[in-house]
Formats: sequence, structure tokens, C-alpha cells
Amino acid sequence: MLLRVKDIANLAPDIWQITLSGDFPYKTVKPGQFIMIRIGSGKEHVLRRPISIAAVTEQSLTIVLRVVGRGTKWLSERCIGDLLDVLGPLGRGFPSPPQDAKVLIVGGGLGVPPLWLLGETIQAEADEVDVVLGFRSQRDCILTDEFSRLGHLVVTTDDGSFGIKGNVIEAVDSLRRSGHSWEYVYACGPLPMLRNLKRYFSNQDVKGYVSLEEHMACGVGACHGCVCLSEDRSLTRRICVNGPVFPWNEVCL
Amino acid sequence: MSYPDLSVKIAGLHLRNPVIPASGCFGFGREYAQFYPLNQLGAVAVKATTLKPRIGNPTPRVTEVCGGMLNAIGLANPGVDYVVRYELPWLANQDVPIIVNVAGETKAEYVEVVRRVCASGLAAAIELNVSCPNVAAGGMTFGVDPNILQDLVAAVKEVCTVPLFVKLSPNVTDIRESALAAQAGGADGLTLINTLLGMQIDIYRRRPVLANKTGGLSGPAIKPIAVRMVYEVASVVDIPIIGMGGIFTGEDAVEFIMAGASAVMVGTANFTNPLACPQIIGEIEEFMRKQGIRSLVEIRGCIG
Ligand SMILES: Cc1cc2nc3c(=O)[nH]c(=O)nc-3n(C[C@H](O)[C@H](O)[C@H](O)COP(=O)(O)OP(=O)(O)OC[C@H]3O[C@@H](n4cnc5c(N)ncnc54)[C@H](O)[C@@H]3O)c2cc1C
Ligand SMILES: Cc1cc2nc3c(=O)[nH]c(=O)nc-3n(C[C@H](O)[C@H](O)[C@H](O)COP(=O)(O)O)c2cc1C
Ligand code: FES
Repeated sequence: MLLRVKDIANLAPDIWQITLSGDFPYKTVKPGQFIMIRIGSGKEHVLRRPISIAAVTEQSLTIVLRVVGRGTKWLSERCIGDLLDVLGPLGRGFPSPPQDAKVLIVGGGLGVPPLWLLGETIQAEADEVDVVLGFRSQRDCILTDEFSRLGHLVVTTDDGSFGIKGNVIEAVDSLRRSGHSWEYVYACGPLPMLRNLKRYFSNQDVKGYVSLEEHMACGVGACHGCVCLSEDRSLTRRICVNGPVFPWNEVCL
Repeated sequence: MSYPDLSVKIAGLHLRNPVIPASGCFGFGREYAQFYPLNQLGAVAVKATTLKPRIGNPTPRVTEVCGGMLNAIGLANPGVDYVVRYELPWLANQDVPIIVNVAGETKAEYVEVVRRVCASGLAAAIELNVSCPNVAAGGMTFGVDPNILQDLVAAVKEVCTVPLFVKLSPNVTDIRESALAAQAGGADGLTLINTLLGMQIDIYRRRPVLANKTGGLSGPAIKPIAVRMVYEVASVVDIPIIGMGGIFTGEDAVEFIMAGASAVMVGTANFTNPLACPQIIGEIEEFMRKQGIRSLVEIRGCIG
């Protein structure tokens, strides 16, 4: 599908928010799903880049990306009116929690954008939403205003330049010690963060869901490039179609 | 003006057109059926199948390089029994010939997998993968020694009840030797080229990008090498050739046909554009119409 760049804005150093409009099944989008965007139009870039859908309306979708290489650099250089070749929505997103559930959302770095749509979707249903977001430092903080509207927000930074100094696990721990409890935990971010979170909740009665990342080629389940291992390491799951969101007890982190 | 005829006959197979998704780049077909009916294709080559299930190499196992990609999937597949039982029957219902890509670590394994695939009655042809660069044992080792290759092909040929294609490795000094060995072993056709061994280094992390360190290079970057190899092989063998390597457009496909291929396979382009194969078919037809070519036989190997 060809979508038109409706808006492009710089949120933080190297971090860009792009809103796209055009023919797309916006209504079917589930939080945690992603799109594969073609880079350039020639034969130089053969692999599309997977980017999460951060927000969606009836006529547009928004992505937030960090420039880390050639593809994301190219994306950051698009102008309003440019066309992007997009495949999606792809993958399985976060399942909605039951009515009145107590929910914790944990995001780290560029794992934060897909959780924005999740937060908006479940805010209406959930009883309480706690959000813990971790960044390296103040200048990397994104979407904090948006999340503060969705629930109780705690922000941590590695260097303490914004919010609490420390990592998200420490922040989750102090919330719990102050009396918060949750039935559902949703997380997206660096693998070590997801691993530690799963371990932290390992003997507690919570349902946890994590969104995983891996290099992708096809994005539709055909190439087996993007796999992760099942919890018992006996099988592989394709992140692009079986995920990117998995119950954390089903995958080896 | 009459429509050009895209159909091709190759090693006893009758194909609607010469465009076939390449092994490993199209799964078992299901994923691409959401984009177009698979009976538009000449045939479908499915992912390599081995005797036992394989989970493949650690990730990252795909990455992009300029003009192409590297993969080190490592022959991940659910094993021949699963493939025959759960994957091929679905594809067989899509009204398109199936070319089953077979890999193994030993001669006995190749023979057994081919026997089981043939017994299913679902394969139109077998493609013997003796050229996978991403597994430690077997795979490419069979493809680089002509004597071992001829022996393997002959052993497989004995149990193979459908046309047998042998997929050649480009990671050799002279691909004509492999081609002649496969022909001597009894191959009904050749497919080439598989990926070229490559490597990419993340200079900031000071380590290879792929967990496997090296991977197979595919995509437009390898096309000139592939065209040259098809040309070289076509000039020494009598059996038909299916050419591939970086085909993204109808013009690319025509190059391979003029180099001597009877049909073409399209791999990486499916990732860039899921509609690549139907578009390439349309572009070949348009080329033929504009050039007044009625049948592909007229231009096959025409560069001499
Ligand atoms: C499901 C999913 C959702 C994602 N959502 C976002 C998002 O919302 N915002 C965001 O900024 N990033 C997101 N990413 C990561 C993003 O895909 C990579 O940062 C991007 O592909 C890098 O491309 P590049 O050309 O700039 O980097 P290069 O390093 O030049 O890329 C080279 C190759 O490696 C691949 N690659 C490199 N890093 C990654 C990575 N971390 N994950 C997957 N592939 C990678 C590229 O796709 C490309 O094929 C997501 C990844 C996945 C799998
Ligand atoms: C992700 C990926 C997986 C592949 N898997 C197989 C395979 O299982 N068996 C095989 O014979 N070739 C495999 N190949 C090689 C392709 O079939 C083809 O020979 C090669 O990619 C060159 O064509 P292309 O440039 O059009 O991709 C694979 C290639 C890629 C990119
Ligand atoms: S990216 Fe191809 S299977 Fe997931």
C-alpha cells in the first residue's frame, strides 16, 4: 500500500514521529502490530524495515522511529507529501486485558511507541493502569505527556536527568512495595529489560506479555529469518507472524 | 496482435510461464496466497526439506547489504514427514506445480527424503540443494566436489520418480564442472545460482552482523555473476537450466533466458515486493509483445 506522509516531526535527537495517511485498514489495527516499510524505490535496499504502529486514527497511522542506520535515516529524511510503500498491519498484537483488570505497562527506549496505542486502547477498560518508562537520559524521553494522560506514570533515566534515576525494574519494585499490584503486565523494550521483568514476576500470579524484535526479511512468515526460541528451546516461533507479542512464559528470553 | 506465449516445457514439466518463486523465499506458499492466487505462477519451489526437523542458526540470521541481503537461516524446516503431511497438500490444491527442495547431511539422508517426497505424489519435481552455504555438514560440501556430486545425484536419481533438478553452488572455481557432474549423475535439469558466501561487520560493535558470522548473499548484487554462470553452464550441458540470482524485473528475467535459461526463479524480490512474481510475469509478457516475440524459445540462449 502506498501511504502519504502527512506529518513528520523531530521528537528528540535522532527520534522522528511520522504520520501517514491513505488507504489502509486502520480499523483493524491492534496495539503491538507493525508495518514493513520499503526503503527507496530501486534495488539498493531489498529489505523493508519493521516499525511498530504507535498510534492510529480512522484516517491515519503514526510511527515513531530512531535513526540507527541507513533505512531509518532515509525514513527520517521524508517530507510531507512523499509516498511510502507499506505492508501491514502485520503480526499479532497485545491481547486486551479483561474489564477492570489491574495493568502494568513497562517500556524501554524505542519499545515505548507501540505501548502508546496499547495504553490508549486499554485505558477505557482497565481499572488501573500503571506505566513505567525507562530512557537513557532526559533528551531521549519521548511520549511522556501522552502516557501521563493514560494512567499513573513513572519515568526512569539511567543518568537521573529526568524522573527517577535507575532502571525500570527498580521502579516497578518500588511501586509494588508501596502497595501496587497487577494482574496483567505488558512490556516492550530491550531484551535484557524483558528478561529481567519476566524473572522479577516469575513466581507471581501475573499474566505477562512481551513484544520482541528481530531482523526480518519477509515480515509475513515465509523466510524464517525472524525466529525466537520457545520457552523449552525445542521449537522456533516466527516473531513476524506468531508475535511480535508473546505471553512471556511461551518464549525463551 | 496475438498474445505472446509464455508457457515453457522443461525437463518434462509444462509450466504456464517461466516464473517460479525460489526455495526459501516463499515458505510453502501459504503466506503469499494472501497477495495473489498462486496459480498465476509457473511453479513454486518450497523451502528446503530435511529428514529431521531443524531449528536453524541463531539470530540475527538475515540482514541487508547494499543491493542485496545476507541470510544464514541454516535450513530451518519442520522435517520431511511434516512437510509431506501438512504443507504440500495445501499447496497442491492451489493448482500450481510444486518443486520440492531437498537438503541433507549424508547421501542416505538425501535419498530417504527424496523417496518420501516422491511417495507423497505431491511433487512435480525435486530440486536437490547441494549448495547451501549455511550449514556445517552436508549442504555445500556436496556441491563443491564434482565426484561426490555425481555420486549423490546418481543415488538420488534411482529413487526419484519425478524430474530431478540439481541446484548448483556458485562458491566454486568453475561451475561448469559441477554442472557436468550433475548431468553425468543423471540430473534432468539444473537450477542456479544459490547464494554466494558473504559477510558484513558491524564496525561499532566490532563483530559480524549475523550470529553465524557468514551468510549467503542474494539479490541484485549477485545478478551479473548469476547471468555469467548460467551462460557458462548453458554452453556445456544439454539439460535445461532454471536461472536465478537478483531477478527483480521482467528485464532481469529476460537476461537469464537470453543467457540460456528455460525458466527463472525469483527469491529476494519477494521480500522487497510481495507482488514481485506476478509483476515480473507481466513485464516479460510486455517485453515479448513490444519485441514481437511469440515464444520464449525464440530468445532462449540467443546470445550464442
Ligand atoms: C516488530 C518490530 C517493531 C519495531 N518497531 C520499531 C519502532 O517502532 N521504532 C523504531 O525506531 N524501531 C523499531 N524497530 C526496530 C527497527 O526495525 C530497526 O531499528 C530498523 O530496521 C533499523 O534499520 P536501519 O536500516 O536504520 O539500520 P541498519 O542497521 O542499517 O539495518 C540493517 C538491517 O538490519 C535490520 N535491523 C537492524 N536493527 C534491527 C532491529 N533492532 N530490529 C529489527 N531489524 C533490525 C534492518 O531492518 C536491516 O535489514 C522494530 C523492529 C521490529 C522487529
Ligand atoms: C532467506 C533465504 C532462504 C533461502 N533458502 C534456500 C533453501 O532453503 N534452499 C535453497 O536451495 N536455496 C535457498 N535460498 C537461495 C535462493 O533460493 C536463491 O538461490 C538465491 O537467493 C538467489 O536468488 P535471489 O537473488 O533472487 O534471491 C535462500 C535464499 C534466501 C534469501
Ligand atoms: S521475517 Fe520472514 S518469517 Fe518473519
